[in-house]
Order: sequence, then structure tokens, then C-alpha cells
Amino acid sequence: MKDFFLLVIIMLSILVLVYLYRVVQGPTVFDRVLGLNGISTKAIILMVVIGTVYEREEMFVDISTGYALLNLVGALAVAKFLEQRGLS
Amino acid sequence: MKASFPKQFIGNTLALFVVWLVLSGRYDLSHVVLGFIASCGVAWLNTGYPNSPFHNFPWGRQVRYWPWLFLRIVESSWHLTTIILNPALPIKPKLLTYRSHLKHRGAVLMLGNSITLTPGTITVDVNGNHIIVHAIDEFSSKDLISGRIERKLSDVYQEIKRQ
Amino acid sequence: MDIIAVALILVGMFFLLVAAIGMLRLPDVFTRSHAVSLTDSLGAFCVLMGLSLYHGFGTNMLRILVVLFLLFLLNPVIAHATIRAAYRAGLKPQANGEKE
Repeated sequence: MKDFFLLVIIMLSILVLVYLYRVVQGPTVFDRVLGLNGISTKAIILMVVIGTVYEREEMFVDISTGYALLNLVGALAVAKFLEQRGLS
Repeated sequence: MKASFPKQFIGNTLALFVVWLVLSGRYDLSHVVLGFIASCGVAWLNTGYPNSPFHNFPWGRQVRYWPWLFLRIVESSWHLTTIILNPALPIKPKLLTYRSHLKHRGAVLMLGNSITLTPGTITVDVNGNHIIVHAIDEFSSKDLISGRIERKLSDVYQEIKRQ
Repeated sequence: MDIIAVALILVGMFFLLVAAIGMLRLPDVFTRSHAVSLTDSLGAFCVLMGLSLYHGFGTNMLRILVVLFLLFLLNPVIAHATIRAAYRAGLKPQANGEKE
């Protein structure tokens, strides 16, 4: 079972690389923000899986909850700033 | 359908207290009492303002809406999967304006959230009751245009009786 | 129980993979956001549900369900904020369907 979870972690990391391509390569700045949003969702799932592997779920689940809330504040601030600044 | 102030207050307090119990994970006396006091205070600050989306919020009747929304999500996710894996990429993106008749601000909030949560449609802008929606093809926007989501929501919020 | 959990996680990984492919293939910001919302809704749901089934009923399952509820509540807000910023900044979606 542990091997299966390690495999899941590796697959999730490869998917993060795909999103990272979009962040680096994206034609507009909004593509980059969208890619970062996808990466943070992956990171939340990844933290819960890592907690399952190390059998310390309560700590990792709390960290992922805090990460989800912080991610909301950061993404809203970036979106508000880009909305004011306009396209460039 | 106006719930009285004490009824709303008790509903909000219970909903917040359940979240506290799940997240704290310790059930000795001091934690439970502290959580109860904190959820009472937050509910006291947030009850009774008609402009808030959580004014008159029907906590119990939401249960009828969520399983239906989940079935819609599964169906349109499968549709989007077939689109993405199709080598020809048959997308027909377009913007459309939808005018909703919902009066409750929480209902408009839930409508926009449901539209965004369902793959294939996304809320671009909300201006009062006019919602601009970006849809990836006709199948995804079919549910919205025929008004099924809105009928479900007005059933949950009991808007028919008020109008 | 473990078999159901593994099956759910595999289904979720399939949806996450499809969303990544869509992120690469789809042409502009508005259509790519649909791929991200596919990740948020069904992919995260299946993977986290499988993990909570693996833990069995208890505090850990409830906490993972709270994380899932937060994802369902917050991720549409983030996607909507990003797309609204793109729309108001003047980025127009390519439309080969007619506008209503």
C-alpha cells in the first residue's frame, strides 16, 4: 500500500511539472496565474497523501487547510492587482 | 419565508460549532466550551444584516441541492473529458448573458458558484442579476439556459412563495 | 475497503491527467480555466475521497472531508476572480460560436 502511495506522489509531481510549463511559457499573465492555481490544488492533495504515507495525518491535514485559506487570499490579491493594472 | 432572529442565530451557531468540533479534534471540557463561546460570538456578529449573503440562510435545505449538483458535475466532467481526449478538439466557446430571477443574495452566490464548479461553464462577471457566462460548447450551457439550476435553487430558497 | 480506495484514487488520477492534457492543448485562457475546474471538482474529490476511505471512519476522515469542502468552496472563487480580471483587463475570448 505504501508503494502505491509513493507512485501517486511521483505521478502528482509529474503533473505539477506540466502546469509549471504553462506557468513559464504562458502567453499572457493570466495563464500563469491559472497555472499557479492548479499547482496549489495539486500541492494540497500532495500534502494529504504525504501525511498518509508518514502516518501523521492530523498535522499534514491541518497544514493543507491553512494552505488552502492562504492560497485564497494570495490569489484574490493578485487578481485584484491585475484587474487594476490592465493588460500588458 | 422569514426565519426569526433567534432561529437564524441558533442555526448559524450550530453550523459553526460543528466545524469547530471537526477541526479541533479534542473533546475535553475547555476546548468544547471555548469553541461554543467563539461560535456564538461569530454568529452574533453575522446574524441580522439583510445585505449579507448568509442572511436567512437555509442550512437544512441545502442537503437537497448538493447531491443533485454532484450528479451534474460528474456528467459534465465526463463530457469535458471526451472533448479534451478527442484529437479534433471540437470546442465552440462563446460568451452568453444570463438573467436570473433570484432575489436572495445567497441564492445568486450559490448560482455563480455552481456554474463555476461545473466543468464546461464559468462565471465571468456578475452585475446585479445579470451573469455573464463563458461556455465551452452547447452541451455544457444547455442546463443553464433551460433554467434547471435556477429552478432547483429557487426551490431550496423557497423564492416562489415570496414572489 | 482498500480496493475501493485504490480504485477511487486511480479514477481521480485519471481526471487530473486529463486536466493536465487540457491545460496543454486548449487554446486560450477562458477555455483553459475549464480544465482547471475539472481538476478542482472531480479529480480532487475522487483522490481525497479515496484517502478518507482508506483511513476508515474517524477524526481523520472528517478532517479530510473538511479540506474537500474548503476546496469546493474556495476554488470556484479563485477561478472566477482570475477570469474576471482577464475579462475586465480587456482580454476577449476567441469565439467561433455566435454571441447571444
